[in-house]
Amino acid sequence: MVAPKKTPDRHYDFTRMNKWFAWSSLALLLITIWMVVEDYAKPWKRLQAEFRDLERQKLAEEAETERQRLNQEEIDRIQAEIEAEDTRLEEQSAELDELRDRLADLEDKVYEADVDARTTKSHLDTERYQYDAALQTGDPDKIRRAELALQERRATYLANRMSLEAYIEERRMVKAEIDRKLEGLEADRKRLAEMRGGLESLETRVAGLSKSVDYFLLNAPLMDMLGPQLKIDQVQLPGLYQNINFTSVDRVDRCVTCHVAAARAGFDGEGWQEPFRSHPRLDLFLSSSSPHPYTRFGCTTCHGGLDRATNFARAGHSPEGEEEKAEWKHEWGWEKQKYLDTPILPAKYSEAGCIGCHAGNVWTPGSRIQDTGRELVSRMGCYACHKIDYPAFSDLPRPGPSLNKVASKTNAGWAYKWIEAPRDFHPTTFMPHFFFQENIQGELNEERQRAEIRATVAYIWDRSEKIDYPVPPAGSAARGELLFNSVGCTGCHLLDGEATRDQFFPQINRMHGPNLIRTGSKVDPGWLFAWLKDPKSFNPETRMPSLRLTDQEAADLVAYLMASRDPAFEGLSLPEVDGEVRDELVLAYLQSTRTIEQSQAELAEMDDLQRDVYLGKETIRKYGCFGCHNLDGFDDAKPIGVELTEEGSKPIHQFDFGHIHDVPHTRHDWIKTKMLRPRIWDLGKERVKDYNELYKMPDFGMSEREAEAVVTNVLGFTKESVVTARRADQMPEAAALAEGRKLITRYNCQGCHLVEGAGQAIKTAIEDPGMWPPNLAAEGARVQGDWLFGYLHDPSSESMRPWLSVRMPSFGFEDGQVNALLAYFAASENRQPFLSAPVRADRRSLAVGKGVFAMLQCAKCHPAGPIDTGAVSAAELAPSLLLARDRLRHDWVADWIKDPLSWVTGTKMPVFFTREDDGEYSSPLAQGIDLPMWSAEKDRMLRYFDSEAELKEYLANADNVTTAMRDHIWWGLEGGS
Amino acid sequence: MKKYGFVMFSLLAVGLLGVACGGAPEETPRAAPASAPVGTAVITGVVNYTNGDPDTAIDMNADPVCLTLHEDEAQTQKVVGDPGKLGNAFVYIKSGLSGSYPVSDEPAILNQEGCMYSPHVSGVQVGQRLLIRNSDPTLHNVHALPTVNAEFNKGQPFQNMEFDHTFDKPEVMIRFKCDVHPWMSSYMGVLDHPFFAVSAADGSYSIDKVPAGTYTVEAWHETLGTKTMEVTVGDNAVAAANFDFAPASG
Repeated sequence: MVAPKKTPDRHYDFTRMNKWFAWSSLALLLITIWMVVEDYAKPWKRLQAEFRDLERQKLAEEAETERQRLNQEEIDRIQAEIEAEDTRLEEQSAELDELRDRLADLEDKVYEADVDARTTKSHLDTERYQYDAALQTGDPDKIRRAELALQERRATYLANRMSLEAYIEERRMVKAEIDRKLEGLEADRKRLAEMRGGLESLETRVAGLSKSVDYFLLNAPLMDMLGPQLKIDQVQLPGLYQNINFTSVDRVDRCVTCHVAAARAGFDGEGWQEPFRSHPRLDLFLSSSSPHPYTRFGCTTCHGGLDRATNFARAGHSPEGEEEKAEWKHEWGWEKQKYLDTPILPAKYSEAGCIGCHAGNVWTPGSRIQDTGRELVSRMGCYACHKIDYPAFSDLPRPGPSLNKVASKTNAGWAYKWIEAPRDFHPTTFMPHFFFQENIQGELNEERQRAEIRATVAYIWDRSEKIDYPVPPAGSAARGELLFNSVGCTGCHLLDGEATRDQFFPQINRMHGPNLIRTGSKVDPGWLFAWLKDPKSFNPETRMPSLRLTDQEAADLVAYLMASRDPAFEGLSLPEVDGEVRDELVLAYLQSTRTIEQSQAELAEMDDLQRDVYLGKETIRKYGCFGCHNLDGFDDAKPIGVELTEEGSKPIHQFDFGHIHDVPHTRHDWIKTKMLRPRIWDLGKERVKDYNELYKMPDFGMSEREAEAVVTNVLGFTKESVVTARRADQMPEAAALAEGRKLITRYNCQGCHLVEGAGQAIKTAIEDPGMWPPNLAAEGARVQGDWLFGYLHDPSSESMRPWLSVRMPSFGFEDGQVNALLAYFAASENRQPFLSAPVRADRRSLAVGKGVFAMLQCAKCHPAGPIDTGAVSAAELAPSLLLARDRLRHDWVADWIKDPLSWVTGTKMPVFFTREDDGEYSSPLAQGIDLPMWSAEKDRMLRYFDSEAELKEYLANADNVTTAMRDHIWWGLEGGS
Repeated sequence: MKKYGFVMFSLLAVGLLGVACGGAPEETPRAAPASAPVGTAVITGVVNYTNGDPDTAIDMNADPVCLTLHEDEAQTQKVVGDPGKLGNAFVYIKSGLSGSYPVSDEPAILNQEGCMYSPHVSGVQVGQRLLIRNSDPTLHNVHALPTVNAEFNKGQPFQNMEFDHTFDKPEVMIRFKCDVHPWMSSYMGVLDHPFFAVSAADGSYSIDKVPAGTYTVEAWHETLGTKTMEVTVGDNAVAAANFDFAPASG
């Protein structure tokens, strides 16, 4: 019998199980380690650690420099000063002690005298009562006695009071004397402490960044949940939404986890590379003192990208060009984020990010590219075909001229040649090329286009009113040229055959109106004369203002402008086209709403002109001409382009790249390509599409930077939402600013004036800076609302600088528009537009004002009477001060005199009052008053002062002096009452 | 686990140290090199000008005070110098220097005298005190029009008024004007080293104490533009650099 096999009490094998356990626990351990390593070794931690080292090194260097600087000169010097000061005090200690004793003594005396004065005052009151009582009795004896007693008491009281005042004054002087003796020492001690403080704080910071045991412990794996130095740095941005899967959630930006120094100053020199650089515009962004502090606005609000990402690829970085892409792939593992709708905007398009919050503001100070893009979108009239639901593009007039009276102005032959290729005539025009584009090639297509152009002109001329203008008076082209270049035409118009739009990109305001080259080949001189005299009578909606030209001036300008000609555009008539081709096009349109038979019948009934006019109307509808031009018969027509309000959020797969394979699949590359070659996506599809199905977007002849500026703008049209309260256009002054900016843009104020630091484009056409139209900085703080109201309505009423040849035009504003401008100027200076009347100044102030006015020789530049331009070149003069009272704000004049450069950069008005380190202004007048040449002024002023010292004290105070000058200008000048 | 954790920590700590030390750009120190020693070389030369137009007179009728300050008609000081020579040219080392140089303790002076700036062309170091004085009994305003430094415009209504200014960035040249007297102008070169000179009436100039080296030297003139030249000079040596200007064509 075989012994029963010893069966284990379990159905498994221990050894095997132990092996399994051993292996799997080892595997688990490895996986755990792997997990910890994976979790620990994040790239951002490496970056932060690297930055800490760099920062520590930088601070150590700064501390070293500081130490050297301090050791070498300052500390020793101040130490020596303190010692010298101490010795001096030591020597003078007896004197100082004496002074202190005197002070103590005086304190007692003041107290005693005060008590005495109060006592005698009450005695005096008693006597007054007694006297009053005596008067009631009517007894002359009593009255006399009471009166004597009262006089005696009054004398005692006055004597007591005077001695009190004398003690108080003496006490003040002793105190001042002690302060003066100690002042130097105290200041030195304070400065030494401050200087050392700077060094000490640097040293503390260096120590904080060095790698101590704490650092390793706190950042060690598994320990780093306590309070690590290396950590994800995030900021929550309530109200600034990110669209995630159709829901809007608050942004949580983590960008500074890697871009450690972005919000900190001082990391922008050579040697600082991304991600460790300071933001280049800390004055505007991220720093706590900027308008967009990091803690409130984060980074992705403007730049785009995935807010929560802490990984290079997932954040949505956008490489610029293939080279960068390859580098990033290699170095950072970059890959395209297919599912991220808002990748980070490439640096050159960053300003697109402004629009989200600033959309209501028409223009956004500090975003030049985006702003020029906005200007281009409105000049090129993109909004006229594509709905763009933003305040900057709503309620705008049509960008092109009305064509309802065009036959009065030019001829059909010119119009044909113009439409064919507008830039051949005006190289800088914003009117685009609709015809003969790359997607419409071939003989037949060319003939079709000729028929379309001819028909368009035929339609316009058929509907246009034709006014016959008389021949204008004879003028001189030479005088006209002078006038053209000086009166202000050049603020809005070029007259330059060589100019390109790109060249004027930075001065886009000079292309507000058309380039006037070849005017003589385009318009009727009679029309031009009437137009210059009164633009609004020809077209009530025109933005062209009246320059109040006399007949002779207008005639001279006509002579000058008509002299610019090009024979190639003269004597033209409408060309003949192939009738069959034209009819075929007409038939195609007819057939879209009728049966073939009906269409043919209808065509047969039309004569030649009718066929042209019919095709013209359809062509205008097809290309959307009515979007930009007022055209009879199209009053209610709807814009033909796709809406662009959310173009910046349109998913990339919805863009049609056609058969073009070398354009990168990004939103900005598609839009830019479209701007530069609007018909490119048709290439290879010409045979599939019908003639009328081909793309119609015209070619604006954009340069690279124009295209990029427009792209910057369009990329900003997103559906990313921002809670209303956080939008810049919801800030208290925003509505007034937005309305004003809209008018300023519409009427091109910046063509001539500097507004908010931008504009004055005309200065490229006027050589002499003294002849430039004024800078409107601080206008709201400077002028009275009443005055500005009158001036904007009728600028001819007065002239601050009568010697300027440039003329403020009459825009024919409505009251509402003028009030909007007033509110705008006031809002930009945080003021109310209207003021109450100032109180009249006292005589002393007037006398000082007059004296100071003479001493500072204000009249050397400010004519305070009829202008004598014989002596000084007119351009060197400053505004006449006789207008000050009506024009300037009373509360502004003294502030302006005190520090002109802080109001208007580049002003010729000199600074007389120096701003000291403590923020107070010092006045130079006390030192000038003793000069023999001003002795007469001194004597006159002294009449209003008890002593020379008092006068000097008064003059040393900048507030006194500037107020006095204001009073003199207000009430003391010739004509002041 | 504890044991592995410790090993991990040590490993990572060592690794991190490696990253920290290896990554720190110690080999490229950012601190500026210490003050460079002042040298012993001299760059000298003559600024020549052929076909010069004579300097023109100034019409000072606008301010009677100015008229009384001159016996003869004042000249613009734009194109000055002996026949064939050019004064008031600013000659300076444009590039090739390294290190920083001590700032002169002596203040540079810009005077307004006879309704003219004096000197008409001058140089000053970054951080050097510039003393601006009005020696005339009339109002002047000193309006500096820099593009890199900060603009200032100070009125000096009284005779013998003075104020100090220091520029904090190099800039060649800064124009000074007076808005009261439009003919007044002065040009000042601001440099971060002391190696500059203004040519005298005989066209000569001399830049002393230059460290040995190869430099680009530029001569600047208000109306005639600039000329540059490479100059190499050794210790205790004198290098000649002559500049030839001609009237601007057209």
